[in-house]
Amino acid sequence: MRVAVCAPQVPFVRGGAEIFADTLVDELRGRDHEAELVTVPFKWYPGTRVLDQAFLWRLLDLTESDGRPIDLVVATKFPSYCVRHPNKRVWVLHQFRQAYELDRTDLGQFSEEPADRALRRSVQRLDRVALGEAKRLFATSRNVADRIERSTGLAAEVMPHPPQELPYRNDGYGDFVLSVNRLDRAKRIDLLLEAAALDPGLRVVVTGEGPDRERLEGIARDRGLNGRVEFTGRIDESELASLYARCLAVYYAPVDEDFGMVPYEAFLSEKPVLTTSDAGGPLEVVTDGETGLVTAPDATELARAAGRLREHPEEARTFGQAGREIAARVTWDACIDRLLA
Amino acid sequence: MPPERSGIADYSAHLLPALAERLDVVVARRRRRPPRADVALYHVGNNPDAHGWIVDALRKRPGVVVLHDFVLHHLVAGLTIGRRDGHGYLDAMEREGGVVGRLLGHGVLDKRIPPLWESRPEDFHLAGEVLDLATGLIVHSRHVEERARAAGYEGPIWRIPHPAWEHAPVAPAEIGGSPLIGSFGNVNASKRIPQLLEAFGRLRRDRPDARLLLVGAVSPGFDLERRLQRLGLSGEGITREAYVEEDRLWALMAACDVCVNLRSPTMGETSGSVIRLLSLGKPVVVSDVGWFAELPDEVALKIPIDAHETESLYAALELLARDDGARTAMSSAARELVRREHDLGRTAELYVAALEQAAGGEAVADAVLGDVSRAATDVGIEPGSPEAAELARRLAEVELGR
Repeated sequence: MRVAVCAPQVPFVRGGAEIFADTLVDELRGRDHEAELVTVPFKWYPGTRVLDQAFLWRLLDLTESDGRPIDLVVATKFPSYCVRHPNKRVWVLHQFRQAYELDRTDLGQFSEEPADRALRRSVQRLDRVALGEAKRLFATSRNVADRIERSTGLAAEVMPHPPQELPYRNDGYGDFVLSVNRLDRAKRIDLLLEAAALDPGLRVVVTGEGPDRERLEGIARDRGLNGRVEFTGRIDESELASLYARCLAVYYAPVDEDFGMVPYEAFLSEKPVLTTSDAGGPLEVVTDGETGLVTAPDATELARAAGRLREHPEEARTFGQAGREIAARVTWDACIDRLLA
Repeated sequence: MPPERSGIADYSAHLLPALAERLDVVVARRRRRPPRADVALYHVGNNPDAHGWIVDALRKRPGVVVLHDFVLHHLVAGLTIGRRDGHGYLDAMEREGGVVGRLLGHGVLDKRIPPLWESRPEDFHLAGEVLDLATGLIVHSRHVEERARAAGYEGPIWRIPHPAWEHAPVAPAEIGGSPLIGSFGNVNASKRIPQLLEAFGRLRRDRPDARLLLVGAVSPGFDLERRLQRLGLSGEGITREAYVEEDRLWALMAACDVCVNLRSPTMGETSGSVIRLLSLGKPVVVSDVGWFAELPDEVALKIPIDAHETESLYAALELLARDDGARTAMSSAARELVRREHDLGRTAELYVAALEQAAGGEAVADAVLGDVSRAATDVGIEPGSPEAAELARRLAEVELGR
């Protein structure tokens, strides 16, 4: 089968969504399908640029390529699912969150001006049309599916995707909490730093790059965390697997996250996840006292939770092993069977 | 708005607090200067006393119209003939019905034919002027949306369900009858009361314990007593209440096993009574017309308006009288429908979406079309070319065009 996987590209930015799209192509190819990644650069500001760029996808003709038909397209993230195809499948990682739950928050994009309010509605209408055309509609988490249903009235099947392939292993439960995330305000890494400021025994390793790095380093400096917080920047897969293998626990608490692969990656290393009660998608697999600890989005509570795992590493192990059972059930074989069915 | 007594006044009062939680809302009042706002919203129904001044305001400032009725003949007659503007009425009739319409209008003015708003409202809706002035339409049903499009309306239309009322659990009024069948609304021919009385009379021959509760004012010229006498129902099996206050209305509705809400002709209206009944989980029997025909089959038995109307109605009442399972299934489907479609918060959200689009949508469309046409021009796509038409088609597909 010839499959075009559609994903937007934000030049010079790479994160979970990009890894997911690349991996999906690889996994399809590994099952004897002809698969190709189709991308279009995406810039969502200023003003109506978000619609212009979404419209670019509408002009693509992916019904065939080089005289041979493309059997189906799999679109992933806004605005790639605006693409037209008679056999369009959409596996939604993200809608354009600024038009939904991030609206009127610090992370929002649209002002109170009538034109901006209408622009937000236009994005929602676009979603309703584009997602409504899908022959099958999947969402990576219940959180995403619920948001799609609320905003468009469309029912999406929940289908989490497996995390990236890494040499996952467990080398014990060390003395640091690991953050694996893009350094972006929405990922709320500052909360972990504030927790470290409250608990002198808490060591933190922050991986990744992003626009929030300077601010986060400033917080670490201001709170006197030098020596207890390490910013690694972007690291390769083997370094990441090594950090997962050695950490005490993994911190992952974005604001109302859609899905996030990080908890699954932590689980595959048998590590518990520290998250917050408003984190959204991660709460579908991180259960307090079973696969990790869920606290209020409050630095004191988070510091207390990290301290509990430090003092009771056997709990960290039990939670991590329970998580592994969940992560092991999410396989590419099962996902691709459903996607192409 | 209340204290005016109309379904639309109730609707507006019900919706307003939920809207005000989400938007800055200023209520325009009769004979007051219209407030400044980003967008004006006009509730228009078919009653010239209640809505004439609203159409006057709409003429001064076009805006979004909530079209509660599609047929506005009575309203237009009030705004023209009622203001001694016969020419205005003739013009409205000609606009819609051509020369024939104008001639019929003359017949009305000269009292040679009965008023068309009573005898043939469906044939001459006279909604044209309001549609011309509306920058967008909010409607409650596909029926009204389709009629507006058929009348040539090209602006945006938002279909927003009528919100249900939240009510505290209510103790049913103590009225006998097994089954107790309720009818709520004006008692007249267009509510198909003659057909209902005949069907009920027949039902009662098989089921002497059956009782019909008729709640609502009897319209002038409708001789209810004579009809009851003729059917042998006078004093037998009928309970009458005229206009009732809201609390009493809920209690009476709660007492019923089955409710009937028929009409023909329809002006395209939605029934607040039916919404209330569905929220109470009452099985309803309705006419298979307009908005009523759009109710899911699981919640309503629909009676076609044809030569067998009375027979069909009797069969529906008999079915619901004998089949507890059917009543129970319809009851739970009705509650689910109200929860899913008619939630007040959902209605208010849909209003906000519509009003935000109405207020800023032009600017968004201008910007997107400007960007796309500039890019098209840059690569040599000429206006009017097949490529430009393709671009327009794609924009329209995702509702980014005009």
